Amino acid sequence: MKTMKKQLIGGALGLSLALSFAAPSLALLADDHEEDSYLAIVGGDIFAGTGEVLRGATLLSKNGKIEEIGYELILPDGCETVDAHGMRVYPGLVALSATTRLTQGTFAAGVEIHDFVPHEEHSEICGDCGKSFEEIVPPALDPGEFSTEHLATDAFRTDFDDSFDPFSGYMVMALGNGITTVQQSSAAVKLKRGDISGVSLSEKTLTSQSWSGSNPAGKADLREKFRLATEYLADYRRWEEAVKSDKELKEPSKKGIDGRILDILEGRTMARFSANERADLLGIARLAQQFKFRPVIQGCVEGWTVAEELGRAGAFAIVTPRTRRDRSETTTHEGGSSIENAAILTRAGVQVAVVPANTSIDMGGISGRDLLSLPLEAGFAIRGGMDERAALESITVVPARLLGIDHRVGTLEIGKDCDALITDGDLLHYQTFVQYTVVEGKLVYDKQEEVFYSHIRPRPEAAVDPGEEVSGEVESVEVEEIVEEESDEE
Amino acid sequence: MKMRNLLVGLACVLGTQAPLLAAPASPTPDLFALRVGRAETVSQGTIEHAVILIENGKIITIGQDLEIERGIRVIDRPDWVVTPGFVNCYSRAGMSSSGGSGTQPGVQASTELYPRQPIYGELLEAGVTTLGLYPPGNQIPGQAVVVSTAGDSRESMLVREGAYLKILMESNSKAKKTLRDGFEEADKHLEKVTEAREKHEKAKEKYDDELKKWKKYDDEEKAKKKEPVDPGDFVEPDPSDEAAAFLDLREGELSAMFSIRKAGDYLHLIDALGEEQISWSMRVPLRNDIDLYEVAEKLGADERQVVVEPRLTLMPWTARERNIPAELDRAGARVVFIPNGDDLGNQEKWRQHVGHLVKRGMDPQAALAAMTHEPAVLLGVDETVGSLGAGKEATMLFFDGDPFQASTNLKAVMHAGDFVEEASAQ
Repeated sequence: MKTMKKQLIGGALGLSLALSFAAPSLALLADDHEEDSYLAIVGGDIFAGTGEVLRGATLLSKNGKIEEIGYELILPDGCETVDAHGMRVYPGLVALSATTRLTQGTFAAGVEIHDFVPHEEHSEICGDCGKSFEEIVPPALDPGEFSTEHLATDAFRTDFDDSFDPFSGYMVMALGNGITTVQQSSAAVKLKRGDISGVSLSEKTLTSQSWSGSNPAGKADLREKFRLATEYLADYRRWEEAVKSDKELKEPSKKGIDGRILDILEGRTMARFSANERADLLGIARLAQQFKFRPVIQGCVEGWTVAEELGRAGAFAIVTPRTRRDRSETTTHEGGSSIENAAILTRAGVQVAVVPANTSIDMGGISGRDLLSLPLEAGFAIRGGMDERAALESITVVPARLLGIDHRVGTLEIGKDCDALITDGDLLHYQTFVQYTVVEGKLVYDKQEEVFYSHIRPRPEAAVDPGEEVSGEVESVEVEEIVEEESDEE
Repeated sequence: MKMRNLLVGLACVLGTQAPLLAAPASPTPDLFALRVGRAETVSQGTIEHAVILIENGKIITIGQDLEIERGIRVIDRPDWVVTPGFVNCYSRAGMSSSGGSGTQPGVQASTELYPRQPIYGELLEAGVTTLGLYPPGNQIPGQAVVVSTAGDSRESMLVREGAYLKILMESNSKAKKTLRDGFEEADKHLEKVTEAREKHEKAKEKYDDELKKWKKYDDEEKAKKKEPVDPGDFVEPDPSDEAAAFLDLREGELSAMFSIRKAGDYLHLIDALGEEQISWSMRVPLRNDIDLYEVAEKLGADERQVVVEPRLTLMPWTARERNIPAELDRAGARVVFIPNGDDLGNQEKWRQHVGHLVKRGMDPQAALAAMTHEPAVLLGVDETVGSLGAGKEATMLFFDGDPFQASTNLKAVMHAGDFVEEASAQ
């Protein structure tokens, strides 16, 4: 009996070894590109963020980009795998207006450090000095500091590339809550752990404009700027045509034209308004329709009362579903906050992005209202009647569109960056944990390996996969020993 | 020769009864032998029952139970453990603690050196025999110098200038640009030299042509025309201080010490260095939640020298202790210790603080090397100090037990063959 078992195991071993040799090697078939890196997320229910769901499918990443999504994929040799059986796979989340602490670490650079007296060094830059984190962490970089000289080079760079802290604990926390891309001041930055190359994705995608009922002169001023810029563009187009026949014609003057408004009208950037009141929202919608641009409205608390108008204006809204605001008694219209806001806006065709009430991170943030509760906040949009697909989009592809990076992140589609989350349940359910996070094809977060959540509902040890290869002498000896022990017991 | 033999003979007659020394430095004979219980040589490991033969302040030989020639005076201390003198490569002892911000890579810290300050004598008595004094300030404040704490004048203290170029590296565009600018400055100088050389060659050719013509002229014509002037040999234009320092870096005549604050800075440093091949070490203050372990493997793979305090830190966000120096050592990086603070108290307790890390798992040999040989290598003075071996300076410390035990006392300090402190030598 004992020998029989041994033989069986030996046979199984031989078979699996033989199979492993016989397995077609994709790496050999593919071009000999130097060391392509592969990662496969195997067997999960893939929620692509586009509406499609593939149950028990596999997602293959090659050099950080999604190479294939589907069933029965042949994995190349040396492909790292993440077992997602029984779990769900989502696109990485995109967090708007996130704290710069995420990418600049606890003790960010930029603080003047005098380091000539070694024993004082520590107190100057650490929490021992009694300063709060906010005092030590520098404010967001001044957008004025950005230069566009380097845009000519093949890789996109911002000052965030030079100040990025790839080991920031806050970043790990964000990754642990599914956030893989963040807006930092005016730039979009990828949370690449342990790597500082190519972290900036875009910059200057949103320009702030003001439209407020309490400032009528400001409204008139903005309308005038739009009018002048529109006229200039019309003049410019006429000139473009005319100059073909008459080369002497002068280009129309840009004098008095606001460059930022031109950027908005020509689609290089989007206009972002902070507005909550019905009258302001209507004003913005009309302005947008008159001058043909798509406004982004942050707040948009009373949006649900004028959703149709906002939808017709092609507006985007950045909302916090849990915001509370009383109806103003000075008007007879409907007003105030509504939990249904996000749902009603979506149904009217407004693209809704969700942000939490507070976009910083603090230790009270676990199931709180800070940046880490981004999926929870989207869950509250569902509570108000938003459909699940739109709720997922509100923290993935819609914010990606606002930042002008939806060609790279926001959904799981072939050719896009492989930024994916593997969760133990519905992402938007409050009890769900992110088990693994992948950024650009690299496993950067494993719940069991980090200090933050590993102690809460630890993952059960994965059962040994019967298809797993057992190779090497040592392991086979161990197997034999186990068999011997078992038979001894018999 | 006869005279010396006579002296040695005299010393023998006096024997070990004679008082060993008189403060501040007591002279020993030109040639003598030390017999101790154990020698921690650092470079050749531990030697039990070691005999060290010393002549004119230098170690002639060191070995186990060596036979000592008749007539050579022997100092017998069977209970003592001897180690090399401690080397603190990163200090501002005896110097002011303020500095500016800017790039002055040509400045030597020795401009601030005032000898005969009590602190140097006190450090020597505490076992710190060699100091690396660095210039203060942000960005690139200048070059560190090596001094011996035993000297009493500028000349006798100063061992070496240009020990390392101190550079503060942070995760921001400015710091990275400062470094790149330094190398660009060196490139510009090289271009200037090439241009000057071309110009000189042309001038030389012109001169040669004119000289040939001149020689053909008869005296009458020679009187009419000017004789061509020889442009002489080519003289390289002097580089600016900045260019000179960065050229020295490239040529390996100078090393750099980069001060960083967190693991991320290391990646930015590598990025800023780009293709430049220079010799460099890294200084990282070990604050409580330092994340240096994130790059320990990379530092180990490079066998990088990392200058740290002997201090346990905490795993960020937790109260779990980490022994980062031990982790760095295990990863293959070369740990260089400096005292927890620059004051006398911390320098006196330096060995105990290191001992604490040894108790918590650091290899004792690596820990001792991190106080002696490694800092000596960093300062470029490992030919003479930092280890015990033939040809090295006889600068060593005598303990009455394991130097990393808190109960062990420092019994005596020897500098270049002479005992330093009287009381402890008794």
